[in-house]
Amino acid sequence: MIGESIRPLDWAEKTAGTARYAADEPPAGTLVARVLRSPLPHADIKRLDVSAALRVPGVHAVVTAADFPEGRVYEHSGGPYSDRPPMAVDRVLYVGHEVAAVAAETAEAADEAIRAIRVRYRRRKAVLTVPDALAPGAPQLHQRADGANVAVATAEHWGDVDLAQANAAFQAGGTFRYPRVNHACMEPNTTIAWWHDERLEMWTSSQAPHFVVHELANLFGLELDQVVCRDVAVGGGFGSKSKISEHEALAAALSMKCGRPVLLELSRAEEFAFTKPRHAFTTQLAAHADTEGRLCFLDAVIDVDNGAYNHYGPSVMRAGIKQLGSMYRPDAVRWDARLVDTNLVPGGQFRGYGQPQTAIGLETLMDELAEQCGQDPIDFRISNSGLPDTTQLSGSQVGSNRLRECLAEVRDRIGWDAKRGPERRPYRGVGVSSGMHASGSYAYPGGNTSAAGIEVRTTGEVVVRFGGADAGTGQRTILGQIAADVLGVPMDRVGVIMADWDETPPDMGAWSSRGTHMGGHAVRQSAEAMAARLCELGAEKLGTDDVTLRDGCVVSGADRIPIENLVDGALRIDTEYVEPKMQPYWTGIERPNISATYAYAAHAVEVEVDPGTGVISVLGYAAVHDIGKAINPALVEGQIIGGAVQGLGAALGEKLHYEGGRLVNAGYVHYPLPRATTVPSIDVGLVEGPEPAGPFNAKSVGEIALIPAAPALLNAVYDATGIRFRELPLTPDVVLAALRERDGVTPRRHHLARRPGRWQIGLFRALYPYGIHLLLDRWGTRFARRPAPRPVERVALPATVAEAVAELATPDATVIGGGTDVLVQRDQELLFPTVLVGTGAIASMRGIEEKPGGDWRIGAAVTLAELATWASERVPMVASAIATIASAQIREVATVAGNLGQEKRCWFFRNGFDCYKRGGVTCPCYAVDGDHRLHHAAIGGHRCQAVTPSDLATVFDALGAEVVLTGPSGSRSVSITSLYAGPGELDLRTGELVEAIVLPASALAARGVFVKLQQWDGDFALVSLAASVTVGDDGRWTGARYVFGGLAPKPWQPPRLTRALAGAVPTADAVAGVLDQDLSWEAHPLPGNRWKLDAAIGLARQATEQLLLGRTRDEESDD
Amino acid sequence: MPDRPSSGRNAAGAPLEGRAVGGRPRVQAEHLRVDGDVVPAGAPGASLLEVLRGAGIFAAKQACGRGECGACTVLVGDRAVMSCTMPAAVVTDEVTTAAGLGDDAADLRAAFADHAAFQCGFCTPGQVVRAAAVLRESVDRSRDEIAREMSGNICRCTGYRQIVDAVCAVAESRQAAR
Repeated sequence: MIGESIRPLDWAEKTAGTARYAADEPPAGTLVARVLRSPLPHADIKRLDVSAALRVPGVHAVVTAADFPEGRVYEHSGGPYSDRPPMAVDRVLYVGHEVAAVAAETAEAADEAIRAIRVRYRRRKAVLTVPDALAPGAPQLHQRADGANVAVATAEHWGDVDLAQANAAFQAGGTFRYPRVNHACMEPNTTIAWWHDERLEMWTSSQAPHFVVHELANLFGLELDQVVCRDVAVGGGFGSKSKISEHEALAAALSMKCGRPVLLELSRAEEFAFTKPRHAFTTQLAAHADTEGRLCFLDAVIDVDNGAYNHYGPSVMRAGIKQLGSMYRPDAVRWDARLVDTNLVPGGQFRGYGQPQTAIGLETLMDELAEQCGQDPIDFRISNSGLPDTTQLSGSQVGSNRLRECLAEVRDRIGWDAKRGPERRPYRGVGVSSGMHASGSYAYPGGNTSAAGIEVRTTGEVVVRFGGADAGTGQRTILGQIAADVLGVPMDRVGVIMADWDETPPDMGAWSSRGTHMGGHAVRQSAEAMAARLCELGAEKLGTDDVTLRDGCVVSGADRIPIENLVDGALRIDTEYVEPKMQPYWTGIERPNISATYAYAAHAVEVEVDPGTGVISVLGYAAVHDIGKAINPALVEGQIIGGAVQGLGAALGEKLHYEGGRLVNAGYVHYPLPRATTVPSIDVGLVEGPEPAGPFNAKSVGEIALIPAAPALLNAVYDATGIRFRELPLTPDVVLAALRERDGVTPRRHHLARRPGRWQIGLFRALYPYGIHLLLDRWGTRFARRPAPRPVERVALPATVAEAVAELATPDATVIGGGTDVLVQRDQELLFPTVLVGTGAIASMRGIEEKPGGDWRIGAAVTLAELATWASERVPMVASAIATIASAQIREVATVAGNLGQEKRCWFFRNGFDCYKRGGVTCPCYAVDGDHRLHHAAIGGHRCQAVTPSDLATVFDALGAEVVLTGPSGSRSVSITSLYAGPGELDLRTGELVEAIVLPASALAARGVFVKLQQWDGDFALVSLAASVTVGDDGRWTGARYVFGGLAPKPWQPPRLTRALAGAVPTADAVAGVLDQDLSWEAHPLPGNRWKLDAAIGLARQATEQLLLGRTRDEESDD
Repeated sequence: MPDRPSSGRNAAGAPLEGRAVGGRPRVQAEHLRVDGDVVPAGAPGASLLEVLRGAGIFAAKQACGRGECGACTVLVGDRAVMSCTMPAAVVTDEVTTAAGLGDDAADLRAAFADHAAFQCGFCTPGQVVRAAAVLRESVDRSRDEIAREMSGNICRCTGYRQIVDAVCAVAESRQAAR
């Protein structure tokens, strides 16, 4: 059983969707909760009046800080680190800080109650970055012993620093930045809390019921057995749910106030913005090696952005430091580290726990030292690797350590020597990184202890009882396998009950990669006790001591007794496992050995960098892990691949962006986490071998795989480009700008002095940082228009265009195609239509037909999937563009008109900022001073910097399509450029709708190419290009149209290029040259999006080459 | 090379003129057919997902509510759609969730189990429904095509390899069974 890839125990429910998660099957009478959160990063609450909320019909409870026992704070790490009350007390410290919560019969009533709460804030100066927080005179968030806004400071060393420095012959160093990253668990944080019979019953999405129970009992002054968590499926944790996640306390308080079950489910926007992300680290690291190429000294200055409260920041910082003394064998490690309070959402626990942040520095510098010493990076790591059966500088008493074997194997798996050899292709590179992680840690009292129960029932079932929770790690299955193995019963007779302390002995849960080690030992120990008892009972009945357990029976020779015949009612044995090797952190041991075993890994990655666009493609990835023993290899591989891909996500795109303390990218669409097509098929190798301290020799695997991914990628990108990047993520803008700098390209000049049309905007932009932004943000937004939420009253499904036009005469009626943007805009509070006019039943809008003369008329309600099918042979460019839009599911229902008419996707506009377009003329454009690198215009931006997001607009413009608009006064035809009044804004008259698109016959005869720069398959274009041309027999181009998307408020055609291409026989270089002039004279980029112009040239080269290849192909086929 | 379009019921290229999908009626239906049951259609502005979950059908999961992740994927007729952004009012065809796929998806579900193609399982019902639709349409697909067809379904746990492995394995076994 041990070592077999058996199916997860819960496979049947999970694959059918019948597994019960916290929000599924709520008890009868469950209320819906909503949370009122601070809109400001730092302010005093001058007045908080919830009386109007209580009067909203259907509201049963409202809670504020006043509903919790005074002075009560979360325990967290305990002692001086405990600093957070469950709700804001008189002062808010970050955007999203919980001010009040309500529970009501319906979500609508709860929303209305939230809007009815009156809060008056007095704004305080906020510190939003670590340097701001440390500046003299900065406002202080808390009274801290270690200095103003310094939650914890530690400056210490391990080893002999003087000796280490004396040995140093080579030195490498740099400042490394790892940003805030969100866990983005698929299940949002969700709790149902029900106070009844003097007990708090919780259905909550948690990795560790222990912390939920203890924290709630502490907050409300309850006994531990007055709080119980039920066994529910948990939709991902990655550390975020390994401690209490705050919303549980709000749901509990609401239920305790009204006695009804209360469901509190965070929205995805809340999940991104207000759950505790990975701590951002800034690490100045220097690494030294001696003349022999031996790493001798690491010297670190680390600043950790704590956010507004401690939570587990102190131990995250400590774990990051600890890693420096755990992987290799330096003589000394010195650090000066600070955990700094800022007015941002507090950081939290995230898979890897501080180690990914310092690993990017350590592993980059290992490569740099290897290069200085003239050694291969893998050889250098092998010779510096920690050794088995040693105590490391950090105090870790390592038993097995097979890092060297891992490094050797990963070299073969990725094809290291060939890929770094002389035959290598330009802009391709490979990189490597080591990783290590403990298996559990004795970080808190009880951390060295786990308990489990084993029960044998008269049915022959074996039930494992374990008090932790499985958020997807497979622990449930692993524990079942261990019990089955020890007891000699088949897996289909084993069940595992978890999390519910009415049913199980308590356990501290899943954190610090302790699941297999601690839980595995506890279940092994209880199962062994049960096995001994069963053998004893069996021996008595069989009359011999020579018995074993096999196939669910006690067996002696040919005799056997089924184990169910040995138990009377049921037999249950609970035992507690205490790990003898662990030493506690907090008792004064100078360098405690906090874990019993240590896992190691080596990852290698191959990348290709596109010098035209800055896009990094991951071509191959190998991960080799020193696992001890894989109890279930398929599940182990799953942890490794999943961890590596999360690490790649952080390396390539994931980052939480804030503006004024408020999250900008609070949605999947603006948070480029990996998709099925953006990651390679990861090749996993498992190195097994004895580890006497582990259960069945097993070591941890939950967190380790995330750690080496980003540094391996950084090293591979260096190998491909010669550029050392020291900050994540490596988005195309960063890479392209660095490539231009490497090549010494002088920045493009835009001749603004000679372009009077841009003077006003130029002046406005220049003044933005000097008061305009502040003025409009602070005072202008007070006049922002905010549409009042209203329900949809009616959905009309007219059968003719005339009927639809008549319906649109109703005020607040909106036409919908697939509806894929209208419900989203409602959710984003941009639009509250009362009548939805569907176009799906209008036959004349649902078809595609050829008109006399060869033009084609495409009904506006044709779906993207239908259009793609029609176009695939006739106008391949249209089909290839559609394949890049959103997802297959969206393309099934989204319509042509819906795509053209979708609102701008600017992340400020979409995510609730009262911007110029959302709030009106008194409001600022947040993109001018904010993060505008990816989604904003570099050409022609006016007061709004957004772009038209529709890819079809770009393509149709290149094809010279006309749009038929029909309204009360009849139909008219307009070009794509005249269709738009602004970015994503159709220039429609009252009551008018898009009825059809007409593609000219010439479009079908032309040769076309669509290329798009996007961060994931289905992303909106950062830059796109649709190029269409008719090629004559002599190779001359006529009617060439190059139209760019993502660059300007509307689809943009470069005028000089259009003229130059007429009648020409172009080359890619010639196109790039003329386009460069266009971009110089037409563009007016923002400081952060100049790179888009270079990317546009890269795309133009690609497109031109493809168009020219098309010619070659035609000629070949003619021959 | 243009990408192969994901789907569409007019592969022959016949004009779609006059064809209303699902023969939509002009008024909103009062009931929806879901997994063989009948459920009330809900408020006019309700999404299909709200209607399903309100009716106690939990196999479709709410993860983003904005059509961005695929956890709520269900079949409407034979089309896999995001139920969270689909107005329930325009749905007339039978709706099928992962729980209602029945024997058609038995091999697919087993493959997900055998390849460890799920961990937390929250995205899994949507993945299974999407995969079922992809394979119903065609089993003659390359690994890259399958990855592309599945790319609208986010999974934060697995890193995708095992999901694509599972769907490829079923495609192969169904090819072999033909």
